[in-house]
Amino acid sequence: MGSRLLFSTRTLSFVSLMTAMNLISNYAMIGIPNVKFMDLFVFVSGYVSGVVPGVLVGVLTWLVYGTMNPYGFSFPILIACCVGEALYGVVGGLSARIGLAGSGESFVGISDAGFWRDNLKFGILGFLLTSIYDLFTNIISGITVGLTPLIAIINGVPFAVAHEVSNFFFFLFGCKTLIVTVRRMAFKGGEKYEWKS
Amino acid sequence: MSGKARNIWIWVSAGLLCLVIVAAYISAYYYMETQKYRQLYEETSRELSKFSGYILVNILIDYGNGSAVWHNNTAVVRGASLFEATKAIAEVTYERYPFGVFITAINNVAGNKTHAWLWYIWNSTTNNWDIGQTGAESFILKDGDAASWVYTKWA
Repeated sequence: MGSRLLFSTRTLSFVSLMTAMNLISNYAMIGIPNVKFMDLFVFVSGYVSGVVPGVLVGVLTWLVYGTMNPYGFSFPILIACCVGEALYGVVGGLSARIGLAGSGESFVGISDAGFWRDNLKFGILGFLLTSIYDLFTNIISGITVGLTPLIAIINGVPFAVAHEVSNFFFFLFGCKTLIVTVRRMAFKGGEKYEWKS
Repeated sequence: MSGKARNIWIWVSAGLLCLVIVAAYISAYYYMETQKYRQLYEETSRELSKFSGYILVNILIDYGNGSAVWHNNTAVVRGASLFEATKAIAEVTYERYPFGVFITAINNVAGNKTHAWLWYIWNSTTNNWDIGQTGAESFILKDGDAASWVYTKWA
């Protein structure tokens, strides 16, 4: 009797690879608070491989990074970060369904208005997603240490602005390029691989 | 309105929403910072008002053996004498006479047949130490005065 796997081996490999990339970049950038490529990578994972793999990349990354972190460990904050990060994967997967990156199979010239229009959409989306993430995680973090939600949000403003503005630029310049790159890498034996999550 | 035009306006609105979020964050942050510093200013003002009846003076104690200690910015009550200021910074032994107090020892260094504690006041016009012309009890300090006690061999 055959069994049906939830994910293909390729999808699992992709999830592992993206999680590893997230961890490497997070630890490499640990000295820069709230400026990370992780959110972009999780979004792209969701966009390229679907909602569930995207969520998996986000959650797995936080399970490692949130547990082995020089700034300390807090279970409620870890859960909040996992949930918040999953949002990038979910929205990434949903964005693919509405074709936010256009055909997304090939690079177009940077002089092309369509390229920048798509990039701008990703930048705005990245900013708004990060706003929701920061709002949620700041409130949970504040409550954890006994602050009121409003004070928690205001205390977190410098970090939130750094996070949101940096993500705007990461998504603006990196999202479509990364999506196209990942899709191009999914070739095997000279034949184009049709991604199926 | 066509779907494409509506789509553009959705993204324009989303972009403006980003700006609104940043503006709201910055406004809230600086409002809280303003409140915080206003509160600190008021607390500091209240603390400083407690010192309105005080002046700051500098007092040197020279033990005559190469050892000298400055007590800079010593807060004393406005109208305090050098004697009172000295008692605030050092252990002073003294005797009372009809003409005033006579300091016999500062910080357990006592005068004797050959040595005594004499006081001086810094003259900022001549840039010299002027020897005290009155008893320390009679000399009223002013804000910023610098006085010194010197263990002096006089005989």
